[in-house]
Amino acid sequence: MNVPMLPIEIIGLKRDLPTILHALRRLGCVHIDELAETQAVSARPLTLDREMLQAQEELGFLVARLQGLLDTLGCSQPGQKLPLAGDYRSQARQGVEVLLPKVQELTSRAEKLKSELASLPRYEVTLRALLPIIPAAARQPGYQSIGVLVSREHMGVLEAVSKRILELTAGQAELVARDVDISTRAMLIVFPKDYTQEIETLLGAEDVSRLRLPTELGEGPPDVILASLHRRMAAIPEELEIVQAMQAEIAAEWCQKLAAWRDALQDELDASSVLACFGETDMTFVLVGWIPADELDRVINSLQEQVGEAILVQPIPLTPELRKRAPIILKNPQPARPFESLVNLLALPRYGHIDPTRLMALFLPIFFGMILGDIGYGLLLLLISLGLTRKKKSGVAHDILLVLAIGSGWSILFGFLYGEAFGALGEHLGLHPLWFDRASAENVAGLLVMALAVGAVHLTLGLILGVWEAFKEKNRKHLLDRGGMLVGLIGLFFLIAIMTETLPRGLMTPAIVLLIIGIVLMGASLGWLGILMGPIEFIGLIGNWLSYLRIAAIGLASVYLAKVANDMAGMAGNLIVGVIIALLIHALNLVLGAFSPTIHSLRLHYVEFFRKFYEGGGRPYQPFKSCMPLDQEL
Amino acid sequence: MDAGLTAIGAGLAVGLAAIGTGLAQARIGSAGAGVIAEKPEALGTIILLVAIPETMVILGFAVAAMVLLLGG
Repeated sequence: MNVPMLPIEIIGLKRDLPTILHALRRLGCVHIDELAETQAVSARPLTLDREMLQAQEELGFLVARLQGLLDTLGCSQPGQKLPLAGDYRSQARQGVEVLLPKVQELTSRAEKLKSELASLPRYEVTLRALLPIIPAAARQPGYQSIGVLVSREHMGVLEAVSKRILELTAGQAELVARDVDISTRAMLIVFPKDYTQEIETLLGAEDVSRLRLPTELGEGPPDVILASLHRRMAAIPEELEIVQAMQAEIAAEWCQKLAAWRDALQDELDASSVLACFGETDMTFVLVGWIPADELDRVINSLQEQVGEAILVQPIPLTPELRKRAPIILKNPQPARPFESLVNLLALPRYGHIDPTRLMALFLPIFFGMILGDIGYGLLLLLISLGLTRKKKSGVAHDILLVLAIGSGWSILFGFLYGEAFGALGEHLGLHPLWFDRASAENVAGLLVMALAVGAVHLTLGLILGVWEAFKEKNRKHLLDRGGMLVGLIGLFFLIAIMTETLPRGLMTPAIVLLIIGIVLMGASLGWLGILMGPIEFIGLIGNWLSYLRIAAIGLASVYLAKVANDMAGMAGNLIVGVIIALLIHALNLVLGAFSPTIHSLRLHYVEFFRKFYEGGGRPYQPFKSCMPLDQEL
Repeated sequence: MDAGLTAIGAGLAVGLAAIGTGLAQARIGSAGAGVIAEKPEALGTIILLVAIPETMVILGFAVAAMVLLLGG
């Protein structure tokens, strides 16, 4: 059921705008609409003055910096509601100024250490390759070593460079080379320091990569550098740990505070963004919105308390155009509420149209129970779903678990009616069907008839609701279409009852007339095309009805899988192996028993039932309110 | 012989319908998964679209049941 909504306009003096905004946030019941999209009130869009724009920009920047700090510090937990002092905006600004340089410095140190830790092993490979071939001159004073790396494709360059260096140093240089990996060759050049300038210039001119080691490793021959590299690699994790400990310390001290500031400031930012929906005249502002009809007095009194008589709150006449834009609040009794999530999964109902939540709450668990119909599986699912609701205390998952629990209850009931507990296992324990044994071959026809009977009731109810909706909305096309379906379907039921000799044959003519009238009405709703489409639509309707056979089909599949589990356990020849096999197959059947009946019952509602009457596409009710506790507000 | 043919007929009725449903659901399902990745609120519509071809296998089941119950 929809809560009755009232469209209102609020007109006040511009000087009172901040006070009114604050009061509206406290009220938390006004869904503000964009003025431009509402034809009922006309005013130019509100233009924010420079000061307000600047304040908004600053606020956005501060929130972004706070979020940046939270991300950098790895504060992923939602901020606890810390009590905030009145001037939390300037506190947040000061906090960011103090914290940002520290955090940036620590982050950059940590990044540098991590990158060093990742790159040093690569140098180690090269140095290790050069180690066995270091010339003795490399350790003599007055000599310098330079490493170069060349890819295999440019091996010719290496030879040319070697030749030039030997010429430059008059043969005093020593050059050794070795493969580092399959694509790279490293060369170590050892030469007297006097030639450093010339050799540097030569290497710079040629296309060779210098082996540039981090400066922290110092200078010298490869063995000295390698030892220094090992010391460095051993020291980095320790340094990194210190930096990370410092970051963690800052995070522990600041995360909650930063998150609380971020939430409060984001809330302010959201509040100011609603101003884009307002309109203005020279002296006044105007807004349009929706409130639950019984909240009008509270809204008027609360706003007048703040600004006295200088405020006008008045209802707007609910025109058909405006009615289409009304936001939706679903109001259902407690047991039906979990089913609201399943209705919303498809679409919110339109304002003033039928909310199918209660019908779904009635039929869906029954369908579930009829399909699963097993005391054992029902009990297990009931316990599991109720157990899981303790962990998932809200949200769609919680609602689905509750739906599953209610369906499991019906499954236990149908389990008694069918005489099933883990398939035929119950029978061995003395359980007998109170109604009929659906697994037995002679009862399959009865099971199919039961499924079709349930489908007939469900579809007819859907069509009656559809006709009522079309009548209420004065929609001729829908009235003809749904009315035709209803009349044709009733004619078909009569025909079937006559053919199965439930009704006397004398009713054959009225039944055929009803069927033809139904098809003609359905065709008439489609215009000339209806001559062809009417009968096709009716065949589609029969398809919808036959679709309810899935209640029998999926149920039978579950029964036979349970039978397989029990029979295979008996065939195993060993008690333990038999029990394990039975447990595995029953577990599989239990999982299927949770998913399959839910999905198929949902489908029967979404496709077969809802399409006969349901008008989705409603807008959710999103009142303008503060996410923060009232005592934390400005 | 007749009972065997009836059983084969029933098997074909439900089996071929199941293949048709499977092919249709595979295409709708993969497209639907893409839609949900972009627009999670479309989950209900996608369940509905994926569920639509299931009518084929249920009709196959109805035919199979009729073949077995009336023909056998």
